This record gives sequence, C-alpha cells and structure tokens, in this order.
Amino acid sequence: MTDSSMTMPPVLSARNVSLGFDDTTILAGVDLTLHPQEFVAVVGASGVGKSTLLRALAGLLAPQSGRVEIPAAITRDSRAWSMVFQAPRLFPWRRVQGNVELGLEGLSLSKAERRRRALEPLALVGLDEFAERWTHTLSGGQQQRVGIARALAVQPRVLFMDEPFSALDAITRRRLQQELVELRRRTEAAIVFITHDIEEAVLLADRVMVLGNGGMDQPARVVEILEVDMPLDDRRDYPEFAPLVQRVETIIGSY
Amino acid sequence: MMVGMTRAQRTLYSVLGLTGFLLFWELSLRSGLLPGSLVPLPSSIPGVLWLELLDGIWFDVVRSSLSHYSVGVLLGSTLGIAVGISAALLPRFNAAHAWLARLLRPIPPLAWIPFAIIWFGINPSAAAFIISIGVFWINYFASYSAVHSIDPGYDEVARAFGQQRFLARLTKVSLPAAAPGILSGMRAGLGQGWMTVVAAELFGIHGIGQRMMEASSLLATDIVVVYMLTIAALYATFDFLFMVVQRRLLRWQS
Repeated sequence: MTDSSMTMPPVLSARNVSLGFDDTTILAGVDLTLHPQEFVAVVGASGVGKSTLLRALAGLLAPQSGRVEIPAAITRDSRAWSMVFQAPRLFPWRRVQGNVELGLEGLSLSKAERRRRALEPLALVGLDEFAERWTHTLSGGQQQRVGIARALAVQPRVLFMDEPFSALDAITRRRLQQELVELRRRTEAAIVFITHDIEEAVLLADRVMVLGNGGMDQPARVVEILEVDMPLDDRRDYPEFAPLVQRVETIIGSY
Repeated sequence: MMVGMTRAQRTLYSVLGLTGFLLFWELSLRSGLLPGSLVPLPSSIPGVLWLELLDGIWFDVVRSSLSHYSVGVLLGSTLGIAVGISAALLPRFNAAHAWLARLLRPIPPLAWIPFAIIWFGINPSAAAFIISIGVFWINYFASYSAVHSIDPGYDEVARAFGQQRFLARLTKVSLPAAAPGILSGMRAGLGQGWMTVVAAELFGIHGIGQRMMEASSLLATDIVVVYMLTIAALYATFDFLFMVVQRRLLRWQS
C-alpha cells in the first residue's frame, strides 16, 4: 500500500459487525477499514466464520448487528465490489467471454465496450485467446483465472476473494499467487482475501487478520491483526517471512 | 453399449431382426398359423398405403391430427413449463397449488374426455385440450425439478455481479441452468402427445384415430396397420428434429 492511498477515504468500513443465525452468534465485534489498493488476508481455523464474514462484508448476508459500508460512488461503468469464489462457479452455458461480461451487463455500456472491457482482464490473466471457448474445455487453474477476470472486469473498489486458490494443485496455486502479486500493481481495488494457508496470507497481504474462537459458548472474534512489513516481490526470500508465518500459526493454534 | 460389435455389425443384426419378424409374420399368415381376418399380411401394407395416399385420405387425416397435436403440445408445453418454473421459484405459489397438483396429477388425460366433449363438443379443440393435459404434467414436473435442483451457487454469483433482480436471475441463471431438464421434459411431452392424439380422436374427432376406428369396424386391419406405422414415423421425425434443436441449444455441455 502506498502512503498516498492511506490519505484517500476508505473504500470499506465495517464497525462492530456480528454474524450468526437465529439466536446464535458465531463471530462478533469485527472492525475493518480498507483503503484503496490495500490487501487484507483473513485467516483462522476451519468453521471460525471466515467465509461468512466475507459475505457479510460484501452485503450478501445481513449481519446480526453492526454496519458495513462500501461508500463507493455509483458510476455508469463500474461496480463497488466483486467476488472471486473458492470454486470458479463459471456459467457453463456461457463462453469465457460471456462469463467475464456478466457483471458488466446492466451497466451503461455498449456491446462493443462490454466486449472490450471483458477482453482487458482476460488478457491480464493470459486468457484472451480463450475468449470464445466453452468453460468446460479449460483446466481448473484456467477456470479460476476466468473467475478473477470476471471480478476485475467491473473495476471494483473492493475485491473479495474466498479461498480462491485452495482447490488448485500446488504448482498452479504458486503460479496464481505470483500473478496476484503482479495484479495488485495494476488494480486500484482493495482486496479482502480469505485463506486457510497462512504462508499464502503472509505472502500476499499488507495485513493479516486472525480470527479465533472466543472460548466456551463464546462467538469467535478478531484475535490479532499483524502488519506485513515486507516488499511484495519474492517475500519468501526475506528473513522475516518464515518467523511471521510461524507467529501466525502459533496464534491460531492457541485459540 | 454392446461390447465387441462394430457399428456395421449392429446395423446388420438390427436389419436381420426386423426382417426376421416380418418374415415370420408373413409366413405364419400364409401357412394358416394365424387367421388372416385378424392380422393383415405385411406385404399388403405398402399397397394399402399407396391407395390411402392416392385417395388423399392419408394427407387429410394426418394434417388434421397434426393440427390437434401441434396445438395441444404447444399449449401443454408452454403452460407446463411456465407453471413448473414459477412453482420452483416462488415458494408461496408452490405451497398454494401443491395439493391441487397432487389431486389432479394422477387423473389420466383420457379421463378428461367427457368434459372435453361437454365443454368443446366433438371438434378439434376437444382433441387439443386432451392432448395438452398429458403434455402439461410432463413439462410441469420436468421444469419444476430442473429449476429446483439448480446449484444455489449460481444464484450467489448472479447476486455478486449485480444481477439480483428477479427477471435478470430468471434469464441469466434459472432458464439456462435448467435448460437441459426443461428440454428433456419437452421431448418426453412430444412422445406423450402422440400417445393421446389417437385416443382423443377415437371418439369421432377427424384424424388418424378416427380413420383407424373406421377401418377396424370394417375389419380393414391393413389400414389400421398403415396408420400405426404412420404414427411411428411421425413420432420418429418429430423426435429427431427436436433432438437436433436440443443438441444445438445445449452445445455448451461437455
């Protein structure tokens, strides 16, 4: 994150958000402020409510209490936020191009503009030559890239990513992590990234938010927020990298 | 799929099976094993068909049946698909008509013949009405379960990409995702339509069924067989044409 982006108004602010269903609260008291180009990774044990939190931040789920604001000005050709899912969830009845255009439909764009806007992110993820292909002809990694292109096409202010690489094989996962590092330089979007892979969190994020269980019959909560103070390139080579990963692991293990 | 047979071999066996059946049929009659008054000679059928064609009767009754069939299938499919999709998407509507559907569903289309005659008289509308009932239920259940079993993840994607309005979700998710199931229902409905078309016409509504009834009362079994084969050929043609359209629409499937 650049210093100039800190002075810009936040693109997402969540205050005291609690989540759950019926009388049960599963996660409580989450505060989060995101500025443009900022990258927050959310980690925590399985079932702690990471994906639920992401959906509440996006407005797909109503929180039990607290409020989430994405104060993006409505524009004719972009959306405030978009999402990359764990499974690519492409529409198999649409070609690659049609899938990337999904979020652009309903905006004030001509057909030609829509086409151009879809091809840009496809080129960014290296799949512009696959625009006319049916999705089932792509590999899992390629499908997830299309999912990322679909999310970038709407030029979101906030990009939510829900364990986007967890279903991929190790080699593809590494490659896509690297691509995401590159991508961060080319997008204005702030990113909220859910993962259970702590190394991945430290590799990609500016901040790592750790969720932990609050104890017997207590909802989970944010137990620590760690700043990742390393340049983005080749983070694994930095001496601070491994100790920070270790530290996050210890924190998660103690809750 | 049969193992160890080439396509040519399979075709050969199929031709042999059919020819064997016809030969057995022909010889049984000629040898007196079967009484000729009950079953016609297979070899007489082409000639009888030719006469029906020459007299213009064949075209006349086929055109008539086709019109009942088309109206009935079109009506039954459209309503069945519309109501089935609505039931799957609108829980209140589903609950409101669930018992009614359960009550009406087991009633066979032919049981509606008395009402069809009372409401419409002995005319083409009555036949179309009866045909549409069977077609309706097939399409209703096929569309309902097709839409009902759509992966809810697709709906979440639509909402995440600004397509939360009912109409947008219907056209961008529900219809395309359910298309394979809806189209299978339509295809089954096309078959069901031919089954009821004959029965609906047996009561004197002009068409293939009526011609068959007429012929059987004169013991002209050869004419009956001509129209049985006509129905089989019409069904096969419709089914083939629909399959071509279906493949084209579902070309996205692997």
